[in-house]
Amino acid sequence: MRRADGELILFWTLPALAVLWISAFFLFPGFVHPMSPSMTAAQVADFYRDPAKLSRIRYSMILFNWFGVGLVPMLTLLVMQIKRMAHRTPILSYCLLGCIAGGPTVFLIADLFWLLAAFAPGRDPQLTVLLNDLAWMTFTTAVPFLIGQSLIIALAIYLDRPDRPVFRRWVAHFNVVIAAALVPAAFTGLALSGPMAWNGLLPFWLKNLAIAAWIVVMSIVLGRNIYRQRAEGSARPVTEQTVAA
Amino acid sequence: MSWRNNSKRELWLAWYSMIAFYNIFVIVFFVLTHAQPPPYPYWSDAQVVFWFSHNRGGLLTGFAIMFALAGLTLPANALIAYSIRRMSVSRAFAYSYLVIYSLAALPGMLLLCVVLSVGAMRPDRDPVLIHWLYDFAFLSYVGTMGIFLIGSLVWMLAILLDKNRVLPKWFGYLNLCNALTEVVVSPAWIFHRGVLDWNGLISWWLNMVVFGIYTSAFIMLLRNMIQREDFGDGPLPTHQLAGTAR
Repeated sequence: MRRADGELILFWTLPALAVLWISAFFLFPGFVHPMSPSMTAAQVADFYRDPAKLSRIRYSMILFNWFGVGLVPMLTLLVMQIKRMAHRTPILSYCLLGCIAGGPTVFLIADLFWLLAAFAPGRDPQLTVLLNDLAWMTFTTAVPFLIGQSLIIALAIYLDRPDRPVFRRWVAHFNVVIAAALVPAAFTGLALSGPMAWNGLLPFWLKNLAIAAWIVVMSIVLGRNIYRQRAEGSARPVTEQTVAA
Repeated sequence: MSWRNNSKRELWLAWYSMIAFYNIFVIVFFVLTHAQPPPYPYWSDAQVVFWFSHNRGGLLTGFAIMFALAGLTLPANALIAYSIRRMSVSRAFAYSYLVIYSLAALPGMLLLCVVLSVGAMRPDRDPVLIHWLYDFAFLSYVGTMGIFLIGSLVWMLAILLDKNRVLPKWFGYLNLCNALTEVVVSPAWIFHRGVLDWNGLISWWLNMVVFGIYTSAFIMLLRNMIQREDFGDGPLPTHQLAGTAR
């Protein structure tokens, strides 16, 4: 029986996070029918002034604030998996650590702008639109670290030893597909309506479904790995590389 | 020797990502968006609105490219952190550098991209608010000092203390020059005109020239480091001895 190292506790925070995440998504009235960037200033101001919507905006964004940072332990467990791979250098785990610092921070800034808009909905509608634009643009274009982390994980798997891989090949292919699905969101500033607008098919639905699929699939393969590695116990020798990393 | 068996493939991938990033950065900031050299801090609301409407397509397209590709900064920072890790100093230096530069992308670049995109997307917004976005973007970008100041000093100290000859000592002192430019940038938060404002001769141009020399130097030196790398923990061999390591 190996000594408890707490990784399982970190891993099993995920169901709680999933509850937070799903409830926040459906609670925020601007997501289920995503707000259009072509709404007028009066419509945006009314959205925040509607008392029924206002409390839902505030509560959902408070939950999102917890959710964004809550993902950090799960992402860090992925770094631990990369450290087990047969790499010569810790470069790829350094890259993933960089993503973990950057991604949730960008998300928190978007969350901050939404909460600011909701804090004083009586403001001049022009100011509410400004905060709403900043929130949606930050949220939608917050893909650099997400694209980065998918590609880094894919690369790490491709460079792992093929005979005894930490993750199977398809996980790498899956990450490349997710990275590609996130790219259109970067271009959302170019369209105020249609499929490329921030409420459109590609920057909203495709991007957020890709993120959701990534979290679910990566959680499952991560959990399987953690349990498998535990069952193997000390069967897998600690290689020189993992010590060096 | 095949790519798969190249023991330095991770290092080379990081190095080429660094090259790719700086090229894309120059194209986006200098050519597409005209965010560099920065426009003037003393412009009137009308001039700022004109600048946004004149550059609208370039701003929105350029920053979209940046949102898609800014992840390339990660391998670049990781490679520098690795250079510090290869030195005889404590790992604390490499980790400090990694954390500082992982956060650098946000106030030092991505905030400007988001805020100028928001400014460009609605040309009919109240000019006073467009002007606020303009100030926000350029002050955040030019005025992000601490990250590059402390980051350069950490790298400098590691190089000067290092006994493994990973990077030459003169480059340690060049880090000091880069750090000092971040000190001279600080008046950009105060001055609206003259050599110390955010596009002034001292605050921007001097900074950019030093940064250009500094960046070119470390790109070449890191390439040299990868060529000499022997994956040991003692002094890094010189070029002649390392011929077989690739």
